[in-house]
Amino acid sequence: MSDYIIEMKNITKKFKGIVANENINLSIKKGEIFAILGENGAGKSTLMSMLFGMNKPDEGEIYINGQPRDIKSPNDAYKLNIGMVHQHFKLVSEYTITENIVLGNEPMKKKFGLFPHVDLKEANQKVKELSQKYGLQVNPTDIIKNTTVSTMQRVEILKMLYKEAEILIFDEPTAVLTPQEIELLLEVIVNLKKSGKTIILITHKLDEVKKVANRCAILNKGKLIDIQEVANISTQDMARLMVAKEMSFNIYKPTIELGDIILDINNLCVKTNIDVVKNVSFKIHAGEIFSIAGVSGNGQVEIADAICGILPCKGSIKFNNIEISSLSVRERVNIGYIPEDRHKHGLILDFDISRNAVLRDYYKPQFCKDNIILKNEFVKFADSLISKYDIRCANGAKTNMRSMSGGNQQKVIIARETSRISKLVIFVQPTRGLDIGARQNIHNEILRLRAMGTAILLISLELDEIMQLSDTIGVIYNGEIQTIKEASQLSKEDVGEFMMGVHA
Amino acid sequence: MKKIKIPLISLGLSLITGIIVILLIGKNPLTAYQNLLQGSGLLPKPSYAGYKNMFTDFMVFLNTLTPMVFAALSVVVAFKAGLFNIGVSSQMLFAGFIATITIGYSPLNGFIAKPLVIIIGIMAGALLGALIGFLKYKFNINEVVSSIMLNYIVQYTTSFFINTKYIDVVSRQSKNISPDASLTLKNIEIAGLKIDIPLGFVVAIIVVIIIKIIINNTKFGYEIEAVGKNKEASTYAGINVGITLVKAMLLSGALAGLAGVTYYLGLNLSIQPRTLPTIGFDAIAVALFGNLSAIGSFIASFIITIITKGSAYMSSISKVPAEIASIIIALILVFSACGAYIKLKKGAK
Amino acid sequence: MDTIIIDGMSFSLPLLIAAIGCIYCERSGIINLAIEGFMGVGAFSGALAVVLTSNIFPQGGIASFILAMTCAILGATLFSLLHALLCIKFSANQTISGITMNILAIALTTFLTKQINSSLFNKPSAKLELGITQKFTIPYLSEIPIIGAFFQEIYIFNIVIIIVAILAWYFLYYRKFGVYLRACGDNPQAVAACGIDVVKTRMYAIMISGALSGIAGISFAYSIFANFSSNIYVGYGYLSIAALIFGNWKIIPTLFACLIFGFSRSLGYSISSMLELPSTFSDIIMTLPYILTLLLLIFFSKNNKMPKALGEIYDQSKR
Repeated sequence: MSDYIIEMKNITKKFKGIVANENINLSIKKGEIFAILGENGAGKSTLMSMLFGMNKPDEGEIYINGQPRDIKSPNDAYKLNIGMVHQHFKLVSEYTITENIVLGNEPMKKKFGLFPHVDLKEANQKVKELSQKYGLQVNPTDIIKNTTVSTMQRVEILKMLYKEAEILIFDEPTAVLTPQEIELLLEVIVNLKKSGKTIILITHKLDEVKKVANRCAILNKGKLIDIQEVANISTQDMARLMVAKEMSFNIYKPTIELGDIILDINNLCVKTNIDVVKNVSFKIHAGEIFSIAGVSGNGQVEIADAICGILPCKGSIKFNNIEISSLSVRERVNIGYIPEDRHKHGLILDFDISRNAVLRDYYKPQFCKDNIILKNEFVKFADSLISKYDIRCANGAKTNMRSMSGGNQQKVIIARETSRISKLVIFVQPTRGLDIGARQNIHNEILRLRAMGTAILLISLELDEIMQLSDTIGVIYNGEIQTIKEASQLSKEDVGEFMMGVHA
Repeated sequence: MKKIKIPLISLGLSLITGIIVILLIGKNPLTAYQNLLQGSGLLPKPSYAGYKNMFTDFMVFLNTLTPMVFAALSVVVAFKAGLFNIGVSSQMLFAGFIATITIGYSPLNGFIAKPLVIIIGIMAGALLGALIGFLKYKFNINEVVSSIMLNYIVQYTTSFFINTKYIDVVSRQSKNISPDASLTLKNIEIAGLKIDIPLGFVVAIIVVIIIKIIINNTKFGYEIEAVGKNKEASTYAGINVGITLVKAMLLSGALAGLAGVTYYLGLNLSIQPRTLPTIGFDAIAVALFGNLSAIGSFIASFIITIITKGSAYMSSISKVPAEIASIIIALILVFSACGAYIKLKKGAK
Repeated sequence: MDTIIIDGMSFSLPLLIAAIGCIYCERSGIINLAIEGFMGVGAFSGALAVVLTSNIFPQGGIASFILAMTCAILGATLFSLLHALLCIKFSANQTISGITMNILAIALTTFLTKQINSSLFNKPSAKLELGITQKFTIPYLSEIPIIGAFFQEIYIFNIVIIIVAILAWYFLYYRKFGVYLRACGDNPQAVAACGIDVVKTRMYAIMISGALSGIAGISFAYSIFANFSSNIYVGYGYLSIAALIFGNWKIIPTLFACLIFGFSRSLGYSISSMLELPSTFSDIIMTLPYILTLLLLIFFSKNNKMPKALGEIYDQSKR
């Protein structure tokens, strides 16, 4: 019997010729918390996806409890008691928490001793017990689409526990949580370990590793750099190994004199099904980066939509001292807006770059004469964006958006929205899902705009991003602004408490 | 070239399947296919009745083709906006009916009557199309459901009026319209021939070009396509999605209206009560086969009409059942529908 | 009054069972406009079996009925596999595939009907003549005033349909299969992550919709219409789709939609015959169900929501 519950030997995986994992060897002990560290694109998720049966290694073997195993599907993984909490939750939105947790393993009962049916009562009871046992608070009968992100994550964990997983893989579990929620989650993870589970934590956050993990493997560009006892390595060393080259954690941000008030919002209210935004007021000056921090779904996206006219609102929005709250989207189009969901709102994936480059300007005289669109002008404009913003695409302006990488798609939107001479640009989650290089580019672009005296509204779920870039931070909770302060006067922990509405 | 590859392959495969079926029932497939072309006036027949020759047959073919072209365009425009206009038939019937009772039975002379028929057809069709768009925009009523309901409503309502007021007791159809109102000049004697001249076909060619330009080169076309592909992004771009949907259905309905008047006041001269024209449904197939583009659907109409029109002659001469034609058309569609897969596979390589 | 109920039921129920099949299909995430085609092929297969065996099993008898039903279900299910092939294997646009099925079904059944008629019976008709299956009346229950009509002159089909509908409802909402099926229409990735085969589930859904449409098709053919030809089912497939959209993809509200269609139709007929109106007036009365539906939709469509993943092409490699 081997000492190790998991052994991965000489694992190599390639995608279309690109090496995602190269000859990786690692062994994980039963009952430890094992962290896999690395930047975006280092190959952490790929490595673990092979353990979970979503990908197959091109070379190498996986041993579970000393036995060589061929894990072909998540189903095989479950049979080996391996479970994974994905970064993007896989939940059925119309079903209750219980129905999601028991999906695939429903308890059955016979009505009149004859008709078997799914026994939801029993299932609810089981879920309740499970949630109490591991300290994962959920209300079993809530419908998923009405719950918060952190609840969904708890549901994902419970799902694995319900399947009696012994090995739990967490893929970047803290990316969308507040500092307080992160604390709670880490506690849960430690508790799981205490009850004998083996935990694999995929992350790029060093402090979390330091806090809970026993050992860590560091990956860089698909290669395993090192495996260390966490107690024996400093965070600085981990960081150094992770990026391989010395990386500055601080962004150079010169001080700028604030200019005139560009955006002045007073008592903004937005009502969808419920009151999502309640009496929000703030001002943004020229050359200021104003951030709204908050847990997903607390009304921040609706504020951005309301400013751009996509959602109707009450209250006053003054842009350049002009009241714009009753104008149409079209009349407010010179406010740059990088929306949250680029596939849904920012782009038309079945159009090529040139048609997307003019998405918000196609009707303007330079692109449209007497109702006839000037396609050559579309292409010229797109070409200029492509070269100016270094957009990688196969067929130039005629490249179909769908065929491009997420980072380059996002570049098209940012190029479009910032190339317009605009006094206000709104960024919502501009770096979501992008690798470190692309993030850096976008952050630099935001700072460039700031230096030009553009007012910037940044809405992000990632506190690090907000802390790094902002001049002023407003924190939103439940549709209400909790505080607005200069960035230098707020610590990350303060912001976290405001985000949860629990700041004393 | 790429664009027509899949339709061509589909056509080829279906014709081959057709050959096999015809062989199975013990007939000669080559003669059968030759008959299709002969019946459409594209190949000479061995003999002709008086005043007829290949050219007159071809004119009859164009006459049959005309409403199909309009109907297919109507489907295309709706599809571009992401809408499925399954109500083309009732829009045709409504337009044909209104034009028949207003102009068809009037004593107006041809120079006034014909343009009026076209205008009234466009307006009636557009009205019904826009209603579907409006119901979707205002009340979130799925266009498939409202179109189907309107299909029935129009079918029975027009039937009621025809049966009570306009019926020809012998033919059980509505009374024939005055020849002045007909968009097809029937049996015109030229050079010893009696020719049907479908004026509607000229309009059809112009309209194909106009629709092509609208879709590809106008602001409205850009908006329709944007809305059809992504409603949220269109809102973000400042496009009024609801209004665009209504406008697209208005245009689609107008085209169906043109199909209606060329069908009921051109190809035919009367309306059969309680019957929706099957062209409205066949047009969906034609539009799909034509890659959902204006020029494409014109070509597709041409090919499909050869098969449908020629099949009557084929069955009378070669005794190959005319239903083979509809099977071939259905197969073309099946193969075209698989086209997406071929594209996908290629992309993956 | 009695005829309204009897006719209303025998029109509503086939619509309902076809609509339930379509609910299965669409709740699993596959658009199904092919109901009409499935009905047609089902009716044809059933009718053909009846005609071919009418020497052995007298038309209208119970053996003939069972045979018709079995063949209708088999034929339509087989045909539905083509839709499954196109939608699942060939990633075809599901709307397009559905329409294609309808066109193919009409073409095939008409062609085959003619071929068979001319080669076996020596007549060039595009119809297969059928009898009418037995009707029966439940004693005692049928004597209750008004409601009693529900138990009079029932076609066996109606009984079969009611039983199948109840079973379908039970399976969709209470059995694992139904739970997985509905989850597939909401988030197929989530279902796959639980180790459930999305492709298989959807394929079964399409086949069920084929089988149930087959029942609907033969019910129309072997009862109220008493023949098979393409015009006995044309339009009704789309009508049942309208019913289920009206019913927001749920079985019970869809039942009401079908009852509205059926009863306003039979009500219309009996009113016009009661008032001794000229037959032309039946046309006006026939518009009532559809006008009524449109009006109801204006009030009830606001919250209509189709299954979230409906029509999305499922890509197994997408995680």
